[in-house]
Amino acid sequence: MARSHDSALKERMWLWLQLSPVLLILAVLFGGALVLAVVQSLGFAPWFGVNTFPSFQYFGALWGSVSFWQSLWLTLYYATVSTVIALVMGIALALALVRTFPGKHLYKYVYKLPLMIPYTVGIALAVIMLGNGGMISRLASFFGFISDPSHFPQILKTHAGWGIIAVYVWKQVPFITLAIYAVMLGIGRETEEAAAILGANRWQILSQVTLPQIMPGVVSSTLICFAFNVGAFEAPFILGGGFPDTLPVVAWRYFNDADYTLQLQGMATVVSIALVAGIILFSYLAIYRRFERKIGRN
Amino acid sequence: MTEVRLNAVQKRFGAFTAIESIDLDIKSGELVALLGPSGCGKTTTLRMIAGLEAPTKGEVLFDGHDVSDVAVQKRNVGMVFQRYALFPHMTVEKNVTFGLDVRGLPKKEISERLEEILEVVQLNKFRKRFPAQLSGGQMQRVAIARTLITKPSVLMMDEPLANLDTKLRGEMRRFIRDLQKRLGITTIFVTHDQVEAMELADRVAVIFNGKLAQFGAPQELYQQPNSTEVADFMGASNIFSAKLVAADRAETSFGTIDIMSQPGLKPGNDVYVMLRSEGIDLYPESEAPQGAQNLISGKIKAREFFGASVQYVVGAGEDITVAEQSRRLLDVGQPVVLSVQPDRVWTIAR
Ligand SMILES: Nc1ncnc2c1ncn2[C@@H]1O[C@H](COP(=O)(O)OP(=O)(O)OP(=O)(O)O)[C@@H](O)[C@H]1O
Ligand SMILES: [Mg+2]
Repeated sequence: MARSHDSALKERMWLWLQLSPVLLILAVLFGGALVLAVVQSLGFAPWFGVNTFPSFQYFGALWGSVSFWQSLWLTLYYATVSTVIALVMGIALALALVRTFPGKHLYKYVYKLPLMIPYTVGIALAVIMLGNGGMISRLASFFGFISDPSHFPQILKTHAGWGIIAVYVWKQVPFITLAIYAVMLGIGRETEEAAAILGANRWQILSQVTLPQIMPGVVSSTLICFAFNVGAFEAPFILGGGFPDTLPVVAWRYFNDADYTLQLQGMATVVSIALVAGIILFSYLAIYRRFERKIGRN
Repeated sequence: MTEVRLNAVQKRFGAFTAIESIDLDIKSGELVALLGPSGCGKTTTLRMIAGLEAPTKGEVLFDGHDVSDVAVQKRNVGMVFQRYALFPHMTVEKNVTFGLDVRGLPKKEISERLEEILEVVQLNKFRKRFPAQLSGGQMQRVAIARTLITKPSVLMMDEPLANLDTKLRGEMRRFIRDLQKRLGITTIFVTHDQVEAMELADRVAVIFNGKLAQFGAPQELYQQPNSTEVADFMGASNIFSAKLVAADRAETSFGTIDIMSQPGLKPGNDVYVMLRSEGIDLYPESEAPQGAQNLISGKIKAREFFGASVQYVVGAGEDITVAEQSRRLLDVGQPVVLSVQPDRVWTIAR
């Protein structure tokens, strides 16, 4: 009895030992950074001569200011709107791609182009195209829609953020399309055809047959895009409307401040972003799990 | 119900011609089987009738009206897919009522028709399950129920019995046959099993390589195929080249035999003669009948025993296969005499 217990223990130890390299990497890469951020945001930074651990003063200062909530709202607003727009366009594109149309072969390459072009190039493109005095405004005035390029509606550097959203959408539509297209290819077209024969119109087929089946692709791709958009920095930094900024930009401003003790405030911001994103993503996944159970997947 | 007609229908996929040209005339309430080897265009034909595929040429007529401009949804057809195509995210119930739900029928009527059809296909116990939790035969029945509940005027089934075991297959065959007779639905049924086609169908259309090879009643196809390919596909074993020496006599490598004269075949024509293996009488040499027509003597080369029946291969210039009830067994090597009635010999032009 004791002997077998002993050997079981040994076996388990051996298992952990074998797993340890992987666990170490996981701990350092994911856990370590997060723990460090949390600890700092709670006032532990002896290398700056600050050690008030544990204190919630940085969170208190952050969450107590109106501008934090404005920033949070902007962050979520850009992330959500661009993800939703990209999703709608991605579904439409994927639906088109599983059908045959002239020029499909060329198109299948062209639509992936933004995936290979860096964000910064996208941002530069947005500046060139969408700015006042940009290509589109000049074209609009050339064709007489507006009397002067400067009359072109302000797209960049506003809090409506259409420039930011445009860049996110431009970059992420191909990604979402790719994910959903792959799922659609796996499903095939037969259930849609069966639905049509059973009398369903286009809308009924899309909403009752296609969408429920492509949900795995929808959820995984939007999850990734949304998480990225919440944490993205360059686009809102360059194309945003200035104060109040999105949270990642706020954090960056803290880190960059001459007063380096503000770095702790920055850490509190980063941790807040992670918290909000975490809560939203977990709720999203929980809702999706419920949906999956409803359609018989366990 | 509805009469279906294909008029010189052709289907190309790019440069590939799946259907060369097919004319089919299916009467209202008739059960027609499309029979042919894999890839001959059976599914494509069904898809064109359903409206899932537009013919490259020719027209599809329902009751004499061209339906090329009628959308799939409006054709009021039903189709049981080769791979069922059930909605994986819906329960059996939801799958079955889908066609009525999308039509916006009153809830009460939907649930009445649901109960009725679940009774018929015996799926009551499984109504809350999802397709992934069903066996092949159960999925099949869901696919059939889902289609029948919409009361289609033309029912199409693409190898609905392909994935079932022998016993369930028999049951489903009878079930489909009864239902089709009871409801009088014009039914087109795809199979590559000739026995199934003959058992179920009023008429069988044999398709080879996108062309209609022959269209007729099962016994016609079986006894009077118009080509050796059809004969082969219908399971004929004894097809020999011959030459007509008279309208009713053919010279073969096992002697000159009397045949039925057939219109269009003249003396001097090169032909094939087909002797159905069950239409040949087999005698041990000593018991050979005197003065009977078409006596062929030979020797048993091989014997295959199937329990109720037995098949011999008799060497007589050609190898002739003979099938009979296994009331007796003759031995390999035994000299025998074959006799075949002229009306059991079918001649095919060469
Ligand atoms: N969408 C398509 N594009 C190109 N070729 C196709 C398409 N659909 C079918 N074909 C071709 O057309 C031919 C007929 O196909 P079909 O599916 O009608 O065969 P089938 O008689 O149903 O065969 P099986 O018994 O194997 O189901 C095949 O050679 C097939 O490869
Ligand atoms: Mg097929």
